[in-house]
Formats: sequence, structure tokens, C-alpha cells
Amino acid sequence: MQSRWDIGRPEKPTINSETEQLKTELLTLNMGPQHPATHGVLRIEIKTDSEIVAHAIPHVGYLHRCMEKHSENLDYRGVIPFVDRLDYLAAMSMEWTYVAAVEKMLGTEVPRRAELLRIMCAELQRIASHLVAFGTYIIDLGPQTVFLYAFDMREKILRMFEEVSGARMLYNYIWIGGVWNDWTDEQLKNVEDFCDQMEVEAKKYYELNSSNKIFINRTANVGIMSTKDCFDFGATGPVLRGSGYAWDLRKVKPYSLYEEFDFDVCVGTGEIGQVGDCYNRYIVRMNEVLESIKIIRQVLKKLEPGPIMAKVPKIIKLPKGEVYMRHECPRGELGVHLVSDGGKTPYRLKIKSPCFTHISMLPRVAPGQMIADFVATVGSTDIVLGEVDR
Amino acid sequence: MSTQTGSVRDYFSALFDGITSTARALYITFKYVWSVKPVSIEYPEVREVLPERARMRLFNDVLNCISCTQCAMACPVDCIYIAFEKLPEGAEIKKTSNGQAIRLKLTQFTIDTALCCYCGLCTTVCPTECLTHSHDYEFSQYTIDTMKYDYLAPDVMAWRDRIVKS
Repeated sequence: MQSRWDIGRPEKPTINSETEQLKTELLTLNMGPQHPATHGVLRIEIKTDSEIVAHAIPHVGYLHRCMEKHSENLDYRGVIPFVDRLDYLAAMSMEWTYVAAVEKMLGTEVPRRAELLRIMCAELQRIASHLVAFGTYIIDLGPQTVFLYAFDMREKILRMFEEVSGARMLYNYIWIGGVWNDWTDEQLKNVEDFCDQMEVEAKKYYELNSSNKIFINRTANVGIMSTKDCFDFGATGPVLRGSGYAWDLRKVKPYSLYEEFDFDVCVGTGEIGQVGDCYNRYIVRMNEVLESIKIIRQVLKKLEPGPIMAKVPKIIKLPKGEVYMRHECPRGELGVHLVSDGGKTPYRLKIKSPCFTHISMLPRVAPGQMIADFVATVGSTDIVLGEVDR
Repeated sequence: MSTQTGSVRDYFSALFDGITSTARALYITFKYVWSVKPVSIEYPEVREVLPERARMRLFNDVLNCISCTQCAMACPVDCIYIAFEKLPEGAEIKKTSNGQAIRLKLTQFTIDTALCCYCGLCTTVCPTECLTHSHDYEFSQYTIDTMKYDYLAPDVMAWRDRIVKS
């Protein structure tokens, strides 16, 4: 190998002869919470050249709970609590995807009120999930205050869900054929009040964080995932939309009653920074909160009294066959592949997780980044390890 | 990528932007010092009132249980253990509070609370509504064995007066 001193220099300076003989090698660094008692156990093995990441290898599987195999021994209703625990920050969306898959095979007609309530729950859950993404992302980057603002608002959503379903995070609220409990008028009034508050808060978040010069410098032009990268890996959700591609299943292939609703698909515009960087992914999430509020307001107008549960046999037996159902969850497209052999339990339940796709994109964007920028990139993909490992 | 090459003017304008935008954010934060009431609850002196449907520790009112084992079958984690036997000949058939006849003698009703996932599926299938989620959430223990509650034990049965509503 040619030494760098050979270029245009007749003699090597004697003072540097020692330095040349020094060996340099990559330093291995383990990143992430790795203790088994913490939730969201992620280990990323990074090889660093001084402060620059040479490559990063995510090691997944610390939170593997054998959920897919275990659900083969459960009846169709019993799987719902397990599906909750996939993405524990957006349990409503997870439940809904699974339940929709079962209903599609069963051929159940869900009452209109139940379907509207499901949309409302899923959108409230989207806000709650994005607030966690927002709060924890900022805490990854340094400031601590914003986290408390985000969790204050999230707590209000969790309280509403607790009042109606009985649990704060793992609801088991969306059932096969409808929803468990009905919302009273008082509870729906709370939702309306929350929407008003959230709009005020969203402006506050912009002042607090999104417009902050230091935050913009930390995130803009960092961790760029191009549209081609996203297509290659199969990224969905805010990561794909942050890369400037308007793909939202609610708009592109509307499921449930989403056709009736008027909302926009938020796309990273590159106004600040560059399309596909951390800031654009972040701002897509913040804008989606406002779009969700729009949908919730429309749901509240459309709600009419009616049944919330369809007639479903007491022991559910699905006909032979298979179904693939995908929904737009806060973190991307969740796919449920359900195979039935005609029995009381699923023959196979395969979950396609969006977070697994996003975590596998990290080795692609990591090389050449500073370590601090890599932290910002990991945070901006908003991964939940419960869903990655299943 | 935070290093930006530029003129001295750019450097100072970025510095100025950084200070003003942070000051704007701090202004919002400082407003909370006086105008917003604290939201923390001084647990355990002050307790939050739980919503009516809150799902906390399970409680079985064994006097109303008809040993149908539907709860054990619905349970996705199999944490309910039930044993029963036939009533002796000529024994008096009691009735539950909603008028169902108790034709079997319950000999064991144990729930492993450490295993329970609080999903609420068992309470929805209960025909006599004797198995309910109570509002009891303070039951941490030192060893995992003590998390198994036998609802036929007299001391556990005594909770009924405290827990069961109506």
C-alpha cells in the first residue's frame, strides 16, 4: 500500500515515521439498552473509525416471545391479547389488523357504529404513538422538557381508552365482529375537547422544538434514506412518506370506511433539510397528528346510535383458506397473513412488521455517519422492538 | 453533518437563530412555572380514582360460581385452575344470585396472578358474573409462589366485603 507521504514528497519527515507504523483498527461499540429487564431491548453493534461509523449491525431477537407459534394453540379470540403486545404503543391498530383479517375470512358485516369507533380509536392511537415517537426522539437528542409535554397529552388519550376499555395500553378492545364497549356521549365529548387541546399543543410543539435551530441542525441532512432505498427494503409509513413518496394505505387502497373521510397524506417536502432525512421523517409525524385530528372530528360528526357488535358464533371456526390483511399503522404497514385449516385455532399466523424493515435499513444509512448522527437516525425511524422480535 | 462551511456572517446568524429559537421555547416553558397547576399525585397519600371499567386483580366470588370452567377455557395464558366434584346424593342444590342452580361442588379455584395478562376475556364469558376485575392494584409480593390466590381460602373470601360492588 502506498503511503500518503509518498505523494509529492521526496523524503519522509522523520518525526512521523513512528506514527506511520502505528496500527489503526476499527473499534467495536455496542449500542442500545441491552439489559433483559428493560423493555425495547435493541443491540446495535457498530464498528467505528474514531467518531465515524464504518458499519452498523442490528442484532434483533432479544424480545422474541414466540408469538406467532404460540397463537397456533389459541382460539381466535385468545390471540387478540397477544397481538396487542406486538406494538405496545399502538395496540389498537394491531388489534384491528388482526381482527379485520379474521372478519374477512368469516364474512362478518361489522355494524357502522363499530367501524366508526374503530377508526376513531385507531386515529387516537396514532396520535398517542406519534407523541411517544416525538417525545422519546427529542430525549435521544438531548433536551428533556419536550418529552413531558408529549406524555402529558398522551396520558389524556390513555385515560380515555382506560375509561372505555379498562386498560391503559393493552386494550383487548376491538373484538371480532365489533368493539367491546360503547362510548358514552360524555366520553365522546372528552374526545372533542381533546382535539381542541391537541391543536393548541401542536402549535406549541412547533415553537418548542420543530422550529428550534439547534434541533434542525442536529437532524436536517442527516440519515438520508432515498426513495429507492425505501423501495429496495420495503419501507412503509412515515419513513417512506418522509422520503417524499405519497403512499398511505388509507388513501391508496382505502379499507374500512376511510373512503368517506377527507384528509391529506403528509409527505416530506424538503423545505428544511433534504427529502428523506431525519427532520422530514419527524415533520411527517407531526403533521400526521393534525390529519388524525381532522379524521376524528369527522367521525364524531358521523356517529349515530346503533349496534356495536355483529352476530358472531360463540366458537369461531374459519373456513379453509388464507387471507392477507394490511393496515396503515402508526409505524407503517402491518401485514397479517392468516392461514386456516378449518379448525378452532389458526393454522399459521404470520406478522409482517414495518419496524423490522426499518431496522434493517440502518446498515444502509449508517456508514460514514458520526455516532451522534447515527443516534438521531435510529430515533427517527421510530422502532418498537416488541414488533421487531414478536 | 452539523459543520457548515460558510462566511462569518452565516456563522453569527446561525448563532443568533439558535439563541432566539431556544429563548422562544424557554418562554413557553417558563409560563408553566406559574400558570399551570402541578399534575403529580402524592401517592400513596392521595390515590387516583380509577375508571369503572379498569381491569385490575381478578376476584372470584366462589359462592356464585357454578364450576362451568368457561373462564379457564377462554384464558389465553391458562392461569385459572379449577377443580370440582359431584355433589353428594340428596344434597341441597343452592342457587346463585341470578338464579342459576349450582350442581357441582367447587373444590379448587386458583388464579396465578403472576401469569394473568389482564385481558378480561374470562370475565366476559362468565355466565353468573362472579368472576370480575376488582379495583385492587397493590398486591406485589416477594416470591412468585405467593401470587397464586386460592379463592376458596377464608382469608381471600373475606375480600369480598371489601371488593365486590353492589
